Amino acid sequence: MSNTLLFVIVIGATLMLVIGGAVTIAITLYRANRLIVSEVVLPHLEKVMGARLPSQPVELINRKEEMRFTFEGNEYSAFKGDTIASALAASGIKIFSRSFKYHRPRGLLCCSGHCPNCLVQIGDEPNVRACRQRVAPDMIVKPQNVTPTLMWDLLAPIMRFLSPFMPVGFYYKTLYRPKWIWKVAEPLLRAAGGLGKASHSESPEDTFDKQYLHGDVVVIGGGPTGISAALSAAGSDAKVLLIDENDQLGGYLRIKAEAKDVVDELCASVYAHPNIQTLTETTVTGCYDHNWLAATHGDRLYKIRADKVVLATGVVERPLVFDNNDLPGVMLGSAAQYLLHLYAVRPGRRAVVVTANDDGWDVAADLHAAGIEVVALADERERAACSSAKMESLEAELPVFWRHIVTSAHGNTAVNAATIAPLESDGSLTTRRTRLECDLLLVSIGWTPNTGLAYQAGVEFGYDEDRAELMARNMPDDFIIAGRAAGTHMLEHQITEGALAGRRMASAAGYGDAPTTSEWTFVQEEKKREVTRSSQRTIVKGSSKRFLCYCEDVTDKDLTTAVAEGYDSIELLKRYSTISMGPCQGKMCSMNAVHLCAHANTSTVDETGSTTTRPPMTPISLGALAGQNMEPVRITPIHDWHLGQGAKMMVAGLWLRPEHYGNPTEEVRAVRERVGVIDVSTLGKYKLTGPHVPNILEKVYTNRWRQLAVGRVRYGVMCNAEGIVIDDGVTARFDEREWYMTTTSGGAGAIYEWIQWWMQSGWGDGVQLINRSDDFAAFNLAGPKARTLLKELTDIQLDNKEFPYMHVRSGVVAEVPCRLLRIGFTGELSYEIHCPASYGQHLWEQLLQAGEQFGIMPFGVEAQRVLRLEKGHLIIGQDTDALSNPIAANLEWAVKLEKDDFLGQRSLLRVVENGLKQRLIGFKVNETGPTPEEGLQIVSINSNSKQRKIIGWVSSCRFSPTLNQVIGLCWLPTEIADVDGAEFIIWREERALTAHVHHGAFYDSNGAQLRS
Amino acid sequence: MLILKCPNCGQRNVSEFRNGGEYRPRPSRPLDADDQQWSNYVFFRHNVSGLQKEWWYHRNGCGLWFLAERHTKTNEILSTFRWGPDRTE
Amino acid sequence: MSRMWQVHELRDRYDAVIIGGGAHGLCCAYYLASEHGINNVAVLEKRYIGSGGSGRNTAIVRSNYLTPAGVRFYDASLKLYERMAVELDINVMLSQRGHITLAHNDISLRTMRRRAEVNRLQGVESRLILPDEIKQLCPVLDVSDRPRYPIIGALYHPPGGIIRHDAVVWGYAHQADAHGVHIHQMTEVTGIEVSGAKVTGVKTNRGQIKTETVLNATAGWCSTISAMAGLRLPVITSPLQAAVTEPLKPFLDVVVVSGSLHVYVSQSDRGELVMGASVDPFPSYSSRGSLDFAESLASHIIELMPGLQRVRLMRQWAGIVDMTPDYSPIMGFTPVEGFFVDVGWGTYGFKASPIAGKMLAECIATKRTPDLITPFSLSRFNEFDLMGEAGAASVGH
Repeated sequence: MSNTLLFVIVIGATLMLVIGGAVTIAITLYRANRLIVSEVVLPHLEKVMGARLPSQPVELINRKEEMRFTFEGNEYSAFKGDTIASALAASGIKIFSRSFKYHRPRGLLCCSGHCPNCLVQIGDEPNVRACRQRVAPDMIVKPQNVTPTLMWDLLAPIMRFLSPFMPVGFYYKTLYRPKWIWKVAEPLLRAAGGLGKASHSESPEDTFDKQYLHGDVVVIGGGPTGISAALSAAGSDAKVLLIDENDQLGGYLRIKAEAKDVVDELCASVYAHPNIQTLTETTVTGCYDHNWLAATHGDRLYKIRADKVVLATGVVERPLVFDNNDLPGVMLGSAAQYLLHLYAVRPGRRAVVVTANDDGWDVAADLHAAGIEVVALADERERAACSSAKMESLEAELPVFWRHIVTSAHGNTAVNAATIAPLESDGSLTTRRTRLECDLLLVSIGWTPNTGLAYQAGVEFGYDEDRAELMARNMPDDFIIAGRAAGTHMLEHQITEGALAGRRMASAAGYGDAPTTSEWTFVQEEKKREVTRSSQRTIVKGSSKRFLCYCEDVTDKDLTTAVAEGYDSIELLKRYSTISMGPCQGKMCSMNAVHLCAHANTSTVDETGSTTTRPPMTPISLGALAGQNMEPVRITPIHDWHLGQGAKMMVAGLWLRPEHYGNPTEEVRAVRERVGVIDVSTLGKYKLTGPHVPNILEKVYTNRWRQLAVGRVRYGVMCNAEGIVIDDGVTARFDEREWYMTTTSGGAGAIYEWIQWWMQSGWGDGVQLINRSDDFAAFNLAGPKARTLLKELTDIQLDNKEFPYMHVRSGVVAEVPCRLLRIGFTGELSYEIHCPASYGQHLWEQLLQAGEQFGIMPFGVEAQRVLRLEKGHLIIGQDTDALSNPIAANLEWAVKLEKDDFLGQRSLLRVVENGLKQRLIGFKVNETGPTPEEGLQIVSINSNSKQRKIIGWVSSCRFSPTLNQVIGLCWLPTEIADVDGAEFIIWREERALTAHVHHGAFYDSNGAQLRS
Repeated sequence: MLILKCPNCGQRNVSEFRNGGEYRPRPSRPLDADDQQWSNYVFFRHNVSGLQKEWWYHRNGCGLWFLAERHTKTNEILSTFRWGPDRTE
Repeated sequence: MSRMWQVHELRDRYDAVIIGGGAHGLCCAYYLASEHGINNVAVLEKRYIGSGGSGRNTAIVRSNYLTPAGVRFYDASLKLYERMAVELDINVMLSQRGHITLAHNDISLRTMRRRAEVNRLQGVESRLILPDEIKQLCPVLDVSDRPRYPIIGALYHPPGGIIRHDAVVWGYAHQADAHGVHIHQMTEVTGIEVSGAKVTGVKTNRGQIKTETVLNATAGWCSTISAMAGLRLPVITSPLQAAVTEPLKPFLDVVVVSGSLHVYVSQSDRGELVMGASVDPFPSYSSRGSLDFAESLASHIIELMPGLQRVRLMRQWAGIVDMTPDYSPIMGFTPVEGFFVDVGWGTYGFKASPIAGKMLAECIATKRTPDLITPFSLSRFNEFDLMGEAGAASVGH
């Protein structure tokens, strides 16, 4: 099979390569002319000359510190402060990645960490956003998902050839008939999928950690609105956290040279304010219940409890969907501004700017001022609808195309031209086209509020058709949106709104006065009068591929097709086309997809709704979420001693316990023949005091307690209301008022809570229950020599008459105050010695020292399991499961159904009435041979059909060195279990193993040893 | 993360607490319950999507079992209070 | 371009009304129409089809359960999944790449052996494997003794794997529609009319429907819907969260589950790691999701696969699941005549959709409970005759 598979894969891939290659060559030759000029000569020129501009007023780079790094094996230089993207762009790199499905070349698009176009691999770290990651010296950066290189990706021609056969959801419609096809195709699809490569390292890094923070008012976003909000909230005396994802405050003002002084001044006030803590380079990724915020700063996760939140996260520029809108060189206007101003990188040499707002004019002006040729400024709007002084002066210097929109970008691996078209008065395209040679096509047609965190906080949004923007419909009491994220685009309005929002949240947190309604209403009305910033247009139809989703290569045609197929709600559309499910998390595509869906259904954007915005807003590393390894380990007071003796430790819940000290069989022999001691400090240990302790014991245990005399110990079983066994242990009575209960190690915490629950809801009866589990160490000294040994260390009367089986005594052992419970899980004369934990190791060592002459051995859990099994004792959780009641578990003797009232009683009565189906019972294996593993099934074999029917299972099984025989406990149908000696079959490795039922203990069935 | 107000300790993160399920008073005389009534008590739940009275235990705190009224759809907690023989509202 | 399913006016009478347009409900409708000739069927979906558990689960299929009855049932389901693509004419992308459940202590190893033995005796491929073989199947796992809970063995279940869950929903919707079933999306049930302990109709936000047969095939709403028929269920509803990472080149070829660490992970064909954990620590109908979940999920994934520290979590979400006391579903008749349930699916509903739908259709059409689902009846709670799946299903993915 695997050979055939390999053959098909190889042949298939070769065929595709050949065809794809031929197609590429043909296309390449056809386009050679233009290609050579714009895609070879120009980039080469950039590489040689560099695209770095002279010093810019607000640049973030330090030209004095230069460093080297490699990308795709080639060395590049960067200045300190450069991101990988800016450094590469400065070296003329245009292609940063290949797209997910079609392997189309992709270049910088947003330069703000949203889109997937600049995802790269850095060493072992996959999917790093190159536009946000600063260069470090000698960084090794690689492109992802290319074979073999970005420029010459073999899959690109293949996918171009195959793309007509790969419409949206093609994988649902193909590759399943005949069935084997999918087995061949799936590995190919898998190999084609994915982006970066995960590391297989086995040594986790320890750079990740977490920190808790608190704020009366947490302001998310450090632009003008956020700064204003922070200052005003802090002015009201609230403790403010101001968080921004960039390394300096200022938001969009950072790229405005003319605002530099204002920003510097605002930053200075923020930093000087004692009530404001500022976190930069910190990204808030989620807003959870009760304003519980998650934020990341490098490898650190901040967990922030915000009393109130001001969301001032601004906007994300919205791409326009037109032919070849994904070509490298097609960029968002703001992206070009970031490159230009912050990194002094020339984004291109000949630019076409497409816009529908004044922001696009700013972009054109910036390019022009930097000496970049603006071939055309195409504005979708009417000339008459706009006016500003700036516009007029620019209009004189640049070729402006009013009422034009872009219809297509051209180029093979990068933009070499753009086509623009004039619009009819109704907004539709005319048939006229103008083609403009360019290497940069900037789109600035609108903004989407960055409100994912608000969605998570429960804010609902409605679509304002006139402004073509989402606006909040409701606002929780402890959360507010302000600034551009709230549709406020003018700086003075942002400052006012921010200040009011800050005051409002501070006041809600109990600091200062809230702004008056009229103050608030005034600014809301003012901002409504602002000119619109977003175009109604999302898609310009054409003849090539137009991408809505850059992460998953989804085109408008894909979506229209999907809607027509019935995937007509936005959520179905998302699931079918995978739009908005990629690394950009919908930031680039959601708004456009909703528009398209609305249009295809001839409904409105509001009716269409949007897909649910889920955390994290920005992908967050598993390492940061995990933080330092904080898995707790519970160890007993003599843990180090165990390790020193070379004990093999085992995991038992949260505990580490010695499984054995080298030879569990010898440990068993020591206990049976001489004496042994085991560390049972893990047991649950509670102190109960009060006159009415027996009342609660009667309720929580299935047996009787009222008559238990002072100085006695009794075994008990606990059930839940369903009658299922939940724990067992012994309880001792020290005096009239004080009792001492032990539980299983696993139940130590839960049983305490269980009893507390009943006591605190009516059964308390003045009883005090204190959990002393961690206060006491406990050791079980067991074996025929236990008494003789103990006599050496204590004055407590130990003779059988003075201190019989199932009794308790207090006294001093080896100078340590102790409690001794004479009980017998192992089946031997034994004393469970409880002492203060701090004396644990001393007492343990004293016992071993005194026991030396008797041949004492410490024994571990494994030996204890064998010992108790020889005695026929069950272990809760091993021999019982979530369905076991004590009657079926052979503990009927400890269940007093005729008692007044106890937990589980009513259910157990029902169980008895129903009749038992199965019972836990002892067994011996008939033949000598392998020991059946625990978990094996017991079967009945139909003599005719040879069919095997499961009738039970083996819950415990060991070779008993004492009996020289394999023994165990198993669950069997009662009709078999009830017959001592009845034979049955254990199924092991396709073979029947005969065993027979054994009633009673295997060892010392009359208890003579226990009582000796 | 939710904030829950322990009647003893005040407001704490919900991670300090253990949920004990919807409040279901145990029949005072279980032996008088018929099979149907008893299985109703043991297994069946109102499980409302709405306001639920439920048990909480302050595990990493004072160890109090108390009652809360929580809206199970929005997780809004309207009140928390101690259990009392006469006061379960 | 033909639609996968049509849009219809609500009729005033249907022979059967199925509440819940998930994989279970649509599958039942498909079998009612295709195998039992009951075509006048409405599937009522409050939002869009597959919007509940069917579209929110981690798409794992397996049959390595603990009880013989459970194994038989889920094995029958897996067999239906194996021929689903051809039968429904849609590639559901079943990828039987193998499923391993890790054991970190002797107790879970014992349970794994118990499951392996039961599985094999029921004809289901499952076996215990040791760390060397685990490492071969999944090189990214750290099988050394460095972790807090070292891996000491695993239950290996080769037929287990993953599937494209949404495609299952769409496939059933498409075929049910082709057989005349009416799928009504954005149609919320507001009441169920019961007269003399018999169902007589259903009220919706789009109008009244007369019917004598109603199936409650909802998750997260099963108590609410049953209460409309005057029925209480042994169910507690809690969120179950899941998450995916950014896409990575394929490196994880099996589904990995750790019961002790409460986590499961697989890699989708697109390259994302799809991860989940146990149900939330307190019951709720809120699907908001929590940071605690993401943190504990990540720390447990890193514990198993330390190399993934720099892999990024891209999206987390929650579904709402209905847990029963015995970690087993409730299927079939109820004390209200004509009111059937297919509820209480906890965290394992998706993997049972085909067989559950098929059995419920048979139950509704023949008015008798098929043998395969007899152990899952509602009456087992009154009879104190519960299922014993807790050991295998508590983190059962």
